[in-house]
Amino acid sequence: MNIKKLGRLVVPYLIWMCVLVGLPLIIMVVLTFLKSNALDLSTAEFSFDSWRLLFSDLTVRTALKNSVVNAGIATIICFIIGYPVAYIVANSNFSNKLIILVLTVIPMWSNSLLRNNAIANLLSERSIVNDVLNNIGLSFIWPIRGVFYDSGFSPAVVIGLVLTYLPFMILPIYTVLEKIDKSLLEASMDLGANKVKTFFRVTFPLSIKGVTTGIIMVFLPSFSGFAIPKILGSGNLVFIGTLIDSRFMNRNYNFGSLLSLVILLIIFGSMALIFKVDKEGETLI
Amino acid sequence: MSSKVLSLSRKIVLFFRRPKVEKTLKITISIIKWVFFVFIIFLLYLPIFIIAVQSFNNSQLMYDFTEFTFKWYGMIFQERALRQAIMNSLLIASLATLISTVLGTIFSIGIHSLTKKRRQKMVLLNQVPILNADIVTGISLMLVFKVFMYIFPDIFGFTTMLLAHIFFCLPYVILSILPKLSELDDNLYDAALDLYCKPATGILKVIIPAISSGIFTGMLMAFTMSIDDFVISYFNTGQGFDNVSIWIYASIGRQMSPAVYAYNTAFSFLMIALLIVISVRSSLKKRKNLIRFSQNKI
Amino acid sequence: MAKKLIELRNVTKTYDGSAVVDNINLYINENEFITLLGPSGCGKTTTLRMIGGFEKPDSGEIILNGEIVNELPPYERPINTVFQRYALFPHLNVFDNIAFGLKNQKVPKEEIAERVETALKLVSLPNFAFRKVSNLSGGQQQRIAIARAIVNRPKILLLDEPLAALDLKLRQNMQYELKEMQRKLGITFIYVTHDQEEALTMSDTIVVMKDGVIQQIGTPTGIYNEPKNRFVARFIGESNIIEGIYVRQNLVSFMGVEFDCVDIGFEDGEKVDVVIRPEDLDLIDPKGAKLVGVVSSSIFKGVHFELCVMVQEKEFVIHTYENKPVGQTVGLRVDSYEIHLMKVDKE
Ligand SMILES: Nc1ncnc2c1ncn2[C@@H]1O[C@H](COP(=O)(O)OP(=O)(O)O)[C@@H](O)[C@H]1O
Ligand SMILES: [Mg+2]
Repeated sequence: MNIKKLGRLVVPYLIWMCVLVGLPLIIMVVLTFLKSNALDLSTAEFSFDSWRLLFSDLTVRTALKNSVVNAGIATIICFIIGYPVAYIVANSNFSNKLIILVLTVIPMWSNSLLRNNAIANLLSERSIVNDVLNNIGLSFIWPIRGVFYDSGFSPAVVIGLVLTYLPFMILPIYTVLEKIDKSLLEASMDLGANKVKTFFRVTFPLSIKGVTTGIIMVFLPSFSGFAIPKILGSGNLVFIGTLIDSRFMNRNYNFGSLLSLVILLIIFGSMALIFKVDKEGETLI
Repeated sequence: MSSKVLSLSRKIVLFFRRPKVEKTLKITISIIKWVFFVFIIFLLYLPIFIIAVQSFNNSQLMYDFTEFTFKWYGMIFQERALRQAIMNSLLIASLATLISTVLGTIFSIGIHSLTKKRRQKMVLLNQVPILNADIVTGISLMLVFKVFMYIFPDIFGFTTMLLAHIFFCLPYVILSILPKLSELDDNLYDAALDLYCKPATGILKVIIPAISSGIFTGMLMAFTMSIDDFVISYFNTGQGFDNVSIWIYASIGRQMSPAVYAYNTAFSFLMIALLIVISVRSSLKKRKNLIRFSQNKI
Repeated sequence: MAKKLIELRNVTKTYDGSAVVDNINLYINENEFITLLGPSGCGKTTTLRMIGGFEKPDSGEIILNGEIVNELPPYERPINTVFQRYALFPHLNVFDNIAFGLKNQKVPKEEIAERVETALKLVSLPNFAFRKVSNLSGGQQQRIAIARAIVNRPKILLLDEPLAALDLKLRQNMQYELKEMQRKLGITFIYVTHDQEEALTMSDTIVVMKDGVIQQIGTPTGIYNEPKNRFVARFIGESNIIEGIYVRQNLVSFMGVEFDCVDIGFEDGEKVDVVIRPEDLDLIDPKGAKLVGVVSSSIFKGVHFELCVMVQEKEFVIHTYENKPVGQTVGLRVDSYEIHLMKVDKE
């Protein structure tokens, strides 16, 4: 396409991104060095309190640990479930587009908070499912809502995270698997590798790109969310997201910003990783 | 000893190589595969199913199914706060989808026309809102909008939420359109100009129709993301402008009106129905073309 | 008398600091079939795009019917293009593709239908009007692309390697058809190709390009028989190129032997490149031959044999109808009017 002329269409987007991505970054960095009441600059003073707190506060450490443990376990489970599902869809004879829609988009038309609330209901001592099952002589009771171990691992929260973010693992992996040239696999078989070997030597390495994206797309929201821990952890569990939320609600923008920057650091690391494996961003959708 | 193990393992391999055994094995594997697949779909839909059950439950209690009823469906628009939240959600989602689809299409065409290096940089920048944690996005936007408040004191509420939704919808639209653009013949736009289109007409008449499937995907993604968003909306609302997610979050732990289950179920069904209508219509159109073509051949 | 239709004067185009088209001068007459020929990357497409109005020259002028048209956008030029990979509109059927330009020019409906039908007949695809373009074969798409351009009755038709994607047989048929079409319609064709055979068969005039610079402009026979430099000689057909010295008028010396020749325009004692086409070398008895060598290889090419003969460490390629076994000593002979002399390249 006519390069110089149409390229100009990007300029407004660049400005938009600068204002909404760049500017807040600067504001946040500045805020971490201040002690202020929300954004009120008239009473603000220079202070390292937030930074000191970051390294000394026990709550921060617990929250980080809880977030990492639960998000990590959820991500691993999502990968273990999501990869085979993506693989099955990519190799199925059905209309792939339809299955992918069923797997990813349609569940999202139900409100995610409501869905987690339903899971919470299922994992409580008395649930509507058990009540319905009773009528046909069955029962299902698994009261783990709010339960957590010393490591911070909470089965209910992990289940909620997995069921909420699984689609974000399936979609990118499916996208790369579907694009793999089938003749590559035939070539591999032709060269004497059996199905299992072909999978590990050809298919899997070629799908790393999608796996990377999938892992990041599941880990980041699991790590930083605060609604699911609140619903399924019954508020017993502090996550890093919970902490950020409470700081901002208490008008402590300084410490809140610092914690956000910690998350942002992880995100930039992930983005560097994604940019390395997938320069055109084709696995993100 | 080891030779015994070896011969045993060979025997096992040979056993599985026997045609009959091999066939049974294949069938078993494929059954396991599909059972697993259906089970995962079941799990994904289990919460949605529970919500549906709750929506038909006469009792307000979340754990006690008393009687089948449609009454909550009638209640959706009875409760003022919920009705307002639903209206707000739909309004924001529709507007954000519309605006980000239009802008996203324009920006995509711009990004596509850049040189390779610049394009990659733009794609990277475009990924920021997608990969960024919702909470960081939400807070970032809130901070900027708070600064804007010095100039426009009343923006918190509808305006900020709409801007925030456009912000995280745009990248999805752009990401769905870009691959479609790179599938196009490089000379397509030039061909339009060559055949007497002015630049803007060329884009409207040729580029946009050729990437329409990408635009549609982007629209679908944008709407889905917008309607399901909680965190970003939560940080960027004000003056009591609640959407459904915020309403639900506020009601968690308290007695939630089952009307929201009814709304959720009805909305899902309407969306699915809409999708079916659209896809049926497009396949009908294809068939029509086919008929026209075959008539022409005769 | 032919009339000048379009002219390029000192046209230069640079990308990222390097000149892709370097100070080109060229004029094209009405009804001419002119071909831009050169290896891939030599700036042919860029030249064509500047004529079509898709790119602006950095310097120089493009003059159409006596007017400078540098700033004229493509949609205001009486020129249409057949693009390299056709660039058919994927969302439109064949009819709408061809009618696209006419609709934009607000031609009345009945006339559009008529002209599209005529165009389809011209490219021998009647009854294809309501097909989807994506269901057509490469050759058919090619024809639709041509129909889409000529239906607008342009003064000039630009064709960018239109046959490159077709297989040999189809390509040869299309070459013939395109030539016929050009004669019938009386449109000036500016044709781009990297295939010298195609250029030789179709063109009235050939422009040989290399690295953005025009090497030679001439008729196919002129360029074949009298290449101006080594590049042209090598690019257009096979040739034996030998270093020699222009002894004096009508006498040239190479391989240590003196030959009669007819080319003029060199100074006595000047170094020259001697070009002899493989089919112009005859095999004779080694006794009394000016050049004697040993056959080093022989390949059957269908009509003729291609022999390689080593003469004093220098390999000569010869096309002949009679085979000689490898290892046999043979004599070579060349007629004086088939010895072509060129100035030595500075490269
Ligand atoms: N838009 C462009 N930007 C940068 N370089 C270009 C562009 N278009 C062409 N070039 C360069 O110009 C040279 C000539 O290209 P082109 O005219 O397409 O050659 P040809 O058609 O003879 O193969 C090539 O080296 C190509 O890389
Ligand atoms: Mg070219």
